[in-house]
Amino acid sequence: MVEVTITVNGTSYTRKIHPLMRLLDFLRDELKLKGTKEGCGEGECGACTVIMDGRTINSCLVLAASCDGKEIITIEGVGGAELHPIQRAFLEVGAVQCGYCIPGMVLSTKALLDKNLDATEEEIKEAISGNLCRCTGYQKIVEGVKLAQTKMKESRGEACECGRS
Amino acid sequence: MRPVSAVGASQIRPDAYEKVTGKAIYPDDLEFPGMLYAGVYRSTIPYGRVIDLNINEIRKLPGVVEVVDHTMIPGAKKHGVIFKDIPILVDDVIKRVGDCLLLIICETKEALKNALKQVKVEYEEYEGVFTIEDALREGAPIIGDASNVLYHIKVQKGDLEQGFKEAKYIVENTYFAQMTEHVFLQPECAIGKIGDDGLIEVYVATQYPHYDREEVARCLNLKDEEVRIINTAVGGAFGAREDINPQCHAALAAYITKRPVKVLYDREESIISHSKRHPMKMYYKTGVREDGKLCAIEARIYGDTGAYASWGTNVLRKSALHATGPYVIPNVFVEAFAVHTNNPFAGAMRGFGAAQVPLAIEAQMDMLAEKLGMHPLKFRYLNCFEVGSVTASGQVLASGVAIKECIEKLASHDNLSL
Repeated sequence: MVEVTITVNGTSYTRKIHPLMRLLDFLRDELKLKGTKEGCGEGECGACTVIMDGRTINSCLVLAASCDGKEIITIEGVGGAELHPIQRAFLEVGAVQCGYCIPGMVLSTKALLDKNLDATEEEIKEAISGNLCRCTGYQKIVEGVKLAQTKMKESRGEACECGRS
Repeated sequence: MRPVSAVGASQIRPDAYEKVTGKAIYPDDLEFPGMLYAGVYRSTIPYGRVIDLNINEIRKLPGVVEVVDHTMIPGAKKHGVIFKDIPILVDDVIKRVGDCLLLIICETKEALKNALKQVKVEYEEYEGVFTIEDALREGAPIIGDASNVLYHIKVQKGDLEQGFKEAKYIVENTYFAQMTEHVFLQPECAIGKIGDDGLIEVYVATQYPHYDREEVARCLNLKDEEVRIINTAVGGAFGAREDINPQCHAALAAYITKRPVKVLYDREESIISHSKRHPMKMYYKTGVREDGKLCAIEARIYGDTGAYASWGTNVLRKSALHATGPYVIPNVFVEAFAVHTNNPFAGAMRGFGAAQVPLAIEAQMDMLAEKLGMHPLKFRYLNCFEVGSVTASGQVLASGVAIKECIEKLASHDNLSL
């Protein structure tokens, strides 16, 4: 057993775990954060995508023991009392069908837009290329990301105005 | 009339909020106190029998609670949407790779993984059939109940011979459509438990909770009212959650152990276990008159339905009924066959038999248009259904046929005169 301290959605957790435990199992089984999904267990489908220190990773391919001191964001850490603009946008354009890919899609989108709010369609497609969806054909998801860009720019604009006044 | 506000307006799915926040519950997100983990050991050969299984050794492994074989099923040993032919646990002949041999119930996921690795099977292997041609060969091993032809349908109209006599051009080809896997993103998972009121409960992501209830009740020799199926969020299905998959195993394990039991597949088991889209072989002969009107079509469609019937009958019926496409053809002879092999069984998948035949009929249309020297869109416009048309099977299309309008719109984009 090894002791790790991992920050998940702003809260620090210290646990003694098996050295071969995957980050995915740490989140789902240890912390009971069930929003992160397992689709393939081999890094193909992206359903288990989380953000680690600002970058997306497949949590099925990362050992929890290697995450000591890291900061993780899961779907439970996106939005709060109100939906994040990405979540709102996905709802509004109908990007969600079965929903199993959606936590990973939202996190890949967040990792992209946090860095580059002006991402082009090509960059959007690149950013979600590690997230498979079998229902939508991706078009609505790309539309959702674009609407999220608009929403996030609007709220950033408002924040700036507040700052000036 | 009161206006219906939902029509013509974009609606937000009622389940989307839960899904964008990660709160939607799929079966694997559920845990119950004292929950066990069960898994199935599956056949690695496509056709044969089990001579010996090391059940007693598996029972002694650490963390193993129970090892279940077909003799421990209290009720029906087979299930199926139309024909009850898929073994819950094989009691006779293995007909495909992935047939269920043993159900192993353990205290932990790790113990289960270990136990499944320790299973040793001695098989008597038979020579199977893996192509439609081999399955229809004289003297071929019979994979179905009495014949390898599960289903045969004919659609006939007019006089085929006369129809082809009228033809200026005839195109004749054979087309193949491949097997397709659904790969819904959420692998199969079910939890069986005994409810507070004593009912057998199964939490599962399913397309048919009512069918599942009947199948679980039959398997456990219970009344339908003694079984409760609780449908969770469904992580994609596309037809592959129409047949029973982990439902009976989870229920059986809970029934035997009196504890909650989770059955969870990994991606590999998901792909091995559930149905597929029918691979099809489609022979087509289509004739057109000099004026561009279709005059005759002959088609023979063979679907590889694999080891078990599933929806094979209905899928090939649909293929036959859609074989002529959306076109008026006065002289028709179409035959469709669902053929058993030792391949993975084929069943429902988006389109349900109507997805394969357009490959053939539309390719034929393009080739005929080329022979006529006519624009392919114009050729289709000349032959497509409109209100009042009669299909090959004799259905009068009384309303709601808008193909011409669609083609007109497409043509206007291309500045094409129809």
